[in-house]
Amino acid sequence: MENNTKKVRNIGISAHIDSGKTTLTERILFYTKKIHAIHDVKGKDGIGATMDSMELEKERGITIASAATFCKWQGHEINIIDTPGHVDFTIEVERSLRVLDGAILVLCSVGGVQSQSITVDQQMKRYKVPCLAFINKCDRIGANPLRVINQLKEKLGHNAVAMQIPVGLEADLTGIVDLVIMKAIYFDGDNGENVRIEDIPDNLINEALKKREELIDAASMFSDELMEAALEDQVTEDLLISAVRSGTLARELTPVFMGSAYKNKGIQPLLDAVTNLLPCPSDVENEALDKEDNEKSVILSNSPDDDLVAFAFKLEDGQYGQLTYIRVYQGTLAKGMTMVNVRNGKKFKVGRVARMHADQMEDIDKIDAGYIGALFGIECASGDTFASLGTGLTMTSMFVPEPVISLAIVPKDNKSQINMSKALGRFTREDPTFRTHVSDETKETIIEGMGELHLEVYVERMRREYTAEVSTGKPRVAYRETITRKAEFNYIHKKQTGGAGQFGRVAGYIEPVAEEEFVFENKITGGAIPTQFISSCEKGFKQSLAKGPKMGFPVTGVKIVIDDGASHAVDSSEMAFQAAARGAFKEGYAKAGPVIHEPIMKVVVETPTEFQGAVMGSLNQRRGMIVGSQDEGPMCSIESRIPLAEMFGYSTVLRSLTQGKAQFTMEFNTYKKVPQQIMEELVEKAREEKKNVA
Amino acid sequence: MLRKLIRDTKDSTQTNINFNSTQAKIFHLKERSFRMLKNDLILRNPLRLMGYKAEEILTPGGFGAVLARAGVGKTSFLVQLSLNSLLKNRNVLHISLNDPVNKVNLWYKEVLSRIAEQYNIQQTDRLIETILPHRFIMTFRVEGFSVPKLEERLSDLTEQNIFSPQMLIIDGLPFDESIYEPLTQIKTLAQKNSLYVWFTMRTHRDEAMGPDGIPTRLIKVADLFEVVIQLQPKGKEIHVKALKGEGADSDHPSLLLDPATMLIKDQPNK
Repeated sequence: MENNTKKVRNIGISAHIDSGKTTLTERILFYTKKIHAIHDVKGKDGIGATMDSMELEKERGITIASAATFCKWQGHEINIIDTPGHVDFTIEVERSLRVLDGAILVLCSVGGVQSQSITVDQQMKRYKVPCLAFINKCDRIGANPLRVINQLKEKLGHNAVAMQIPVGLEADLTGIVDLVIMKAIYFDGDNGENVRIEDIPDNLINEALKKREELIDAASMFSDELMEAALEDQVTEDLLISAVRSGTLARELTPVFMGSAYKNKGIQPLLDAVTNLLPCPSDVENEALDKEDNEKSVILSNSPDDDLVAFAFKLEDGQYGQLTYIRVYQGTLAKGMTMVNVRNGKKFKVGRVARMHADQMEDIDKIDAGYIGALFGIECASGDTFASLGTGLTMTSMFVPEPVISLAIVPKDNKSQINMSKALGRFTREDPTFRTHVSDETKETIIEGMGELHLEVYVERMRREYTAEVSTGKPRVAYRETITRKAEFNYIHKKQTGGAGQFGRVAGYIEPVAEEEFVFENKITGGAIPTQFISSCEKGFKQSLAKGPKMGFPVTGVKIVIDDGASHAVDSSEMAFQAAARGAFKEGYAKAGPVIHEPIMKVVVETPTEFQGAVMGSLNQRRGMIVGSQDEGPMCSIESRIPLAEMFGYSTVLRSLTQGKAQFTMEFNTYKKVPQQIMEELVEKAREEKKNVA
Repeated sequence: MLRKLIRDTKDSTQTNINFNSTQAKIFHLKERSFRMLKNDLILRNPLRLMGYKAEEILTPGGFGAVLARAGVGKTSFLVQLSLNSLLKNRNVLHISLNDPVNKVNLWYKEVLSRIAEQYNIQQTDRLIETILPHRFIMTFRVEGFSVPKLEERLSDLTEQNIFSPQMLIIDGLPFDESIYEPLTQIKTLAQKNSLYVWFTMRTHRDEAMGPDGIPTRLIKVADLFEVVIQLQPKGKEIHVKALKGEGADSDHPSLLLDPATMLIKDQPNK
């Protein structure tokens, strides 16, 4: 393994689903000679693209898990993380971006900037990942890369500038014009592997000159040298590239490349751009928190000689045990060394170290700072930090959203039961947005996640990878309970029948509070409740929150103030006050106008305009509130707020309404009160379920 | 006084009051104060403050325009007019040819939060909740906008009972030489559906003006408008002046907009 981080690029390929990023990765691997044949996603040869390593992904034609792989181009080592495009799997995208230094934002030249591109772009902004854009599918009917560049500017606010223009479009796409070297580039051979550089065709010279001027104008904002050279008409290739690089690294300029991965056009220049324009690990400043110094932030040195700091960004269970994908930020992770998992303080010895290529691997001796690799047989969770002994540095934790949907699963037989728990153990370690627990009432296993598809994919994976046959219940929405007004309570818990007695009185009030889950305030004066029992009271109230008295959903947005009470010298105990607090909560809660809240999702549908009416109708039927519609030429996007409970099965409905031409994204927006009629239905349903359980 | 009452009732414990009348009714104080708050905001609507007595200064199918140079506050002014209708539970279709849906949405939030700040209102979230179902934002690109297209979209909404607007706000329509035809088409549409329509109209610094202050390039279409209001920056203030319609000839003093908030300034004599 070479050790020159200047020649390392850790990049991600992020984009809207179906914009062709897996195909693009496949082509990159082919041209960098990592693979020797090209297999298309959903291809007729049945092999599928190399990066889609999971069987399920091959079948659905989507990429779920981000497979890390590395390749070499022009003396540079490129580590690629193929990121998923569906919104349900954004935790994967987020994790990938956390460890990347740069990214290629793939856009479809027909679909342009779609809502998922906006989500991905926001994530890149959050992690300050510099990116370049690749407008793919220029061979498709309706391709218009210039429109996409405008969308990049208007919709995403990028300072996008074309680095190339296409030679021909749609079926006539034959190559591209490079605006830096001012030559036309064609891609010959069966797989476009032979690059032929020629003069720009006469009909494109004027446009190329105009676009080059625009490029120089934009780039000269980042280089005085280029500005001067431009004034004297002496712009050199190096000057121009270095100025574009400065703008890109500062995230103030987005160079735009184009081509068609499927038709093998424009990939090699894109690889050149990755090496020329995207940052190497030492260009990026990474921070860690020092656990031993009050979590003070520390800038990591990126030097292979310093103490080790490495980040486990992805886990996978393979045939050899657990595989942990790792990014080393500082120091060197070598075979046989001892390191510590900073989260739990566990020490362990590094066994096998490998470099991954989709689902194949290559054994190596060490991973240097700036590189991505994989470890075998290490027990850890994703998001853990590994460090040298005595180093308390931990990488900042990632933003993990709360799950909004749950599903009961029941194994078909004993064998499935065992496999299911193995699978669940692994999935929860791999994906922090996927959670599981056993229901107290029904004793069923409940899985929770970020959307219907999210859970569906895990159930499928249980079946395929673990042969765990499970039957699923209906998806359940994560409802919550809260109160609407202030109410007082004054509750005495008294039990004096045989044995040690119990006594405690708790009085005060309960009121709604915004933006906080639970607030507890002690206003007791004069020792009405002895100090040692105050925490028992708080504990008692907290216990009550887990299961609301109204419907059994978790209670949030509640402030409890206790201002009076009474105790007994002998009979008062921690238990007695916990019980008194639970009773007090029940008493106050009933008077405080309890209501049920449900998760409301922000749903954005992108559809050809001819289906706009039908789509709006379908959203409206789902208790949805349409915020607005945005006309964007042949496509339009409709933004709405819809209760999650109404969104089950919407993808099928949308597909049949729009001949499969529309797509939608869904993300959690807020919690809102459930309308009275729906609440009654819920109460009725809960009652019936209780009856069934009994 | 009214606002003090609202604040007092909000702070007090929520109780039910049982009026001993022949028909006993229960009023929730919180609800009542919220209704009062809405009414208070309606009373502060810029047009009413300009001296218009009627609730709607336009007749059904009528056009109104807000005229100003770029960046003076046309959109903000129209959003205030729109909010006034929304507070009265009237449906407003806001059409923007400049901004995406999110930005228009932001305009509303921004104006509402400024109003909330100015009048010390604490229930903005709830206010937004109540007005949202009455608002629909539709955005087009300028080059892609046409009246038949708008009609098609509108029928998508009305035929499925998704949304039936009573007021139309059209922001960003370019008033150039070719405006006469689309305007007459919109007029027909507005009359057919009894819509009140407000436009923003951008003027230019060195533009030739007619005697009534309306730009000469618009004289041909001026007859279509019942009300024309001009926003004019003078020093540190923005004057709101009626060029056409009720109040145009009256001695009613022109209103002032605070350029920082784009809201009508509280004037001591009001």
